[in-house]
Amino acid sequence: MEFFQQTYTALRGPTGVQQTPADTITRLSDRLSPSTLLADRRAAVLSLKGLARVHKQLVGTHALQGLLGIIQNDADTVTTLCDTFDGSYAQRDLGLDHTDRVLEDEKTAHKLFALLGDQDPSLRYSACILLIGILQNRPLKVQAYFLKAPVGPATVIALLDGEKEIVGHAIAMLAALIRQSVEIQKILAFDGIFEKLLSVVTREGGLEGQSVVTDALKCVDTLLRFNTSNQSYFRETNLPSLLCSLLFFNPNVQPDQAVPQDFALQFWTEDKIANVGLILESIGLLLGSKGSGLREGYAFTKLLIEMGLASNAPTPLKVKCLRLLPPAAAPLLPDMILTPYMPVPDTNGEEWDRLEAATGIDALLELIMHGEYNGQDSVRRQKESVDLRATAVGVFEHFLRDDLVKEAIVSGMLPSENSGTSAHSPVTPLLFGLIIPPSSPFDRASVSSVQFAAILFAHLLRHAPRCKDLARKIVPPPLTPLSTSTAGGAFFVPADGDPPPPPESTSRDDTEDGPQSLLALITEHLSLAFLQRSRAGLAPREAREADRVICVYLLLLSQWLWEDPRAVREFIEAGGLGVLVEQLNQPSEIDVVVPGLCAFLLGVCYEFNREPGEITRVTMYSILTRLGADVLVGRMNRMREDERIKVVGPDSWVLPCPTPGPQALDPAFTPMYEGEMEIWFDWAFVDFWKANIHTIQRGIVADPDSASSSTAQSGEESILVASLRGIIAKQAAEIEALQIKLKELTTTPLAFAGASTSETSQTTAEIDEERVALKVALEAERTKRAEVEKEQEDLLVLLDELSSKRAKDKQRMEEQGMDVSEDEEGEGEDEDKEEEE
Amino acid sequence: MAGPSWNYVLKFIITGDAGVGKSSLLVRLTDQRFLANPDPTLGVEFGSKLITIPEEDKVVKLQCWDTAGTESFRSITRSYYRGAAGCLLVYDVTSRRSFEHARTWLADVRAHADPHLTCILVGNKSDLASERRQVPAEEGEQWAQNEGLLFVEASAKNGANVDAAFETAARDILAKIRRGVFDDDRVSPGVKSSSPAGAIVLDQSKASQSCCAS
Repeated sequence: MEFFQQTYTALRGPTGVQQTPADTITRLSDRLSPSTLLADRRAAVLSLKGLARVHKQLVGTHALQGLLGIIQNDADTVTTLCDTFDGSYAQRDLGLDHTDRVLEDEKTAHKLFALLGDQDPSLRYSACILLIGILQNRPLKVQAYFLKAPVGPATVIALLDGEKEIVGHAIAMLAALIRQSVEIQKILAFDGIFEKLLSVVTREGGLEGQSVVTDALKCVDTLLRFNTSNQSYFRETNLPSLLCSLLFFNPNVQPDQAVPQDFALQFWTEDKIANVGLILESIGLLLGSKGSGLREGYAFTKLLIEMGLASNAPTPLKVKCLRLLPPAAAPLLPDMILTPYMPVPDTNGEEWDRLEAATGIDALLELIMHGEYNGQDSVRRQKESVDLRATAVGVFEHFLRDDLVKEAIVSGMLPSENSGTSAHSPVTPLLFGLIIPPSSPFDRASVSSVQFAAILFAHLLRHAPRCKDLARKIVPPPLTPLSTSTAGGAFFVPADGDPPPPPESTSRDDTEDGPQSLLALITEHLSLAFLQRSRAGLAPREAREADRVICVYLLLLSQWLWEDPRAVREFIEAGGLGVLVEQLNQPSEIDVVVPGLCAFLLGVCYEFNREPGEITRVTMYSILTRLGADVLVGRMNRMREDERIKVVGPDSWVLPCPTPGPQALDPAFTPMYEGEMEIWFDWAFVDFWKANIHTIQRGIVADPDSASSSTAQSGEESILVASLRGIIAKQAAEIEALQIKLKELTTTPLAFAGASTSETSQTTAEIDEERVALKVALEAERTKRAEVEKEQEDLLVLLDELSSKRAKDKQRMEEQGMDVSEDEEGEGEDEDKEEEE
Repeated sequence: MAGPSWNYVLKFIITGDAGVGKSSLLVRLTDQRFLANPDPTLGVEFGSKLITIPEEDKVVKLQCWDTAGTESFRSITRSYYRGAAGCLLVYDVTSRRSFEHARTWLADVRAHADPHLTCILVGNKSDLASERRQVPAEEGEQWAQNEGLLFVEASAKNGANVDAAFETAARDILAKIRRGVFDDDRVSPGVKSSSPAGAIVLDQSKASQSCCAS
């Protein structure tokens, strides 16, 4: 201001009248009137342009109206005008105010859209710049004007065919224009914006191109992201295959076709990384939305897997590939043959070794267990590399959707059946990771491997009773100290799948009482880790490594022992209970997570200790009482407050080291490397823990005789299970009562006769009585009848005798000549008479 | 496989009053099903279908935009007219109002579309005609003839004449191409042949395939 006045005074000369900026601007604004000569008008515009740099508000107040008038009528001056406007948007409030005045009616905006198609390139350019400015300030209003503009979208799209200088600005303007306006996105797609944008990409050097390409790809992404109509249009075109071609990937790739090195090994620049990242996002979007029917679906899936697992792409891009891989693609992994690459040491990423081919799932597991390029940099735990491993765990989780797959994997870890009782399980990368013993000092690469192995194994076992049954039969082979300390070395090549050097020395457990089960071994390692943690004078970094190992073992065990009484029994027999109780007796003063987890695991043991054994629930109950059930509940609750639990989300469990928050353990702790990351718990565990902590807290105070109240599921499901359990319990009680009754009825039926307690027995007794009475009566009747019959017989005999006697008498009387009657009546009468006698 | 399996891509738009069944016609064409209760606010918006025109020995890809969502912005639908090769102007045979409004829609089309745009008047909901018809077929046909439009009565519900409507329009466009209505300098914006001059050619296989196809 001061400087300006001095200059002005100097120019004006010493004799002039003192002039204020306001006067000058007002005077210049007057000259903007269309009646002024063109040359004067231009001079005024140029002067205003200069003044606007310093006196934004004054120029805005006095000159804006005049300038807008010129825009309508005299396109030639717009070039300089735009600069004036441009300047006025730097100051936010003032800029907004000016924009509102520009947009008072649709005329200016429509004029500007029309100017985009002007013959003069500098005019097109200036209109574009001005539109960018007002779009940034008032996007909705400009978008609405655009939809009504008589020139339509054609001029906007035509800009993309223009000179190189203008294309960049045109794309920036487009980006602002399409933001959140589905209608504009649709109409531009109809008019061929996708084709134009991608031709800009190819023209500007493909994915190697610079910011213009990046901006064009960003526009493509915006046009697709929340616009299903555009997605279906885009899928119909040949543009998806163009996306493949841009990445040097054959869009017609067949399942058995190898992917050329051109794709796997590329040179990467900053620009290219940004561009490829955007293309990958679009590919993921097209694959994800109703992926079926997409002609390039297979090519896209293969592209993501190849780039994610077998290429020299920068790690963040690999993370993106695996993250964008749709869940349905995971089952393809075992059938896909990949050839991973390894950088040749000391060649600065310019030379690459081709490794042996491996299936996709092997490559994935290898990546999770050892890290990218066989754990070259896993010691550093940089964000990208830990992210990559964590994302790969997500893919593996999708692969495990089917319980049968889980069972098959766990079965593969069992000792072969026909090699006797002392057989060991084959060493798979996963099992190898699980059985690495805690070393002293801790090996950083091994600690990460143990963490990932435990998290993977927990995925296999969680809520899978069959897998838990199988897992108890895993008998890990003994490891030589040599093979464990070399983790992170370069010889455990994933592709050949060979186990590490065959174990030569046998560990002490093997010689004593037969091979040790995996569960027992993990229990032992947990105990070892606690031992090392408690060593006096442990460096803060070492302590944190120990905590990580302890936490991940506890994570695995809580999920393994859940609802598996036999595993609980085995854990207790391996001395696990003692380890937990010891820790809970003298818990750490600063850490809340380990005591909380110990309390939780102890609760799980108590809840599911349902198998007969040495340590019963009654024994445990007294231990719990001694530790104080409410103290244990409190410990579990305090764990919630820890950031390491709190900040874990479905896609974010890789945390910056040290995890910020009130529990930032030892103040002396500093990470070993700049930007180091750490993992503690995965989302699946946190979810599991949150869903079940109440059950365990309730269970811990329950009477030892009480039935298990556990509910494996959460919310609705658990209510359903609880109600079903209630019904079953009721029915069981009823059945029991009925059985008892039945027993009584069958074994002592006579008792009822005597004991006339129930109605039935009473009636039976009555009937019996009656029956007996009737029997007696019947017997009496029978005897009576027999007597009568006998009498009758006797009489008949008598009659017979009489009739024979009479016949003799008759004969005698005839012989003596006496009259004898022949009629039977007489005879009868006689007989009667005789009988009467 | 990825190369074009078509000779021409034709851009179609479907326009007409709200509720005459524009989205239903599109869904019937592309998915062979009937939308019983289409959401009036969320149209299907875009669909495409390959059809064969045997007498021309040509395979044509129809890209159809449903303008339902833009009824409130009549001005923007103009941009669609400008870029289209074919237009389905739809009315409802059970609604005289929708038939009368077809005149204003046609005026809009005439004002903004390419002069060679093929427009077919479609009387939809012919399945309901026996009970509730308000617009006689003869009347529709007569008006179409006067205005130089193609005409068909169709039903998105039972599928009658839906494919035919699109095919008739596509045949007409192909005939125009054959007659050279669209000379090389001024190809209709809605027609794209499979060997376009300004196409993006990246990989060789695709380019050679497209040459063979045309």
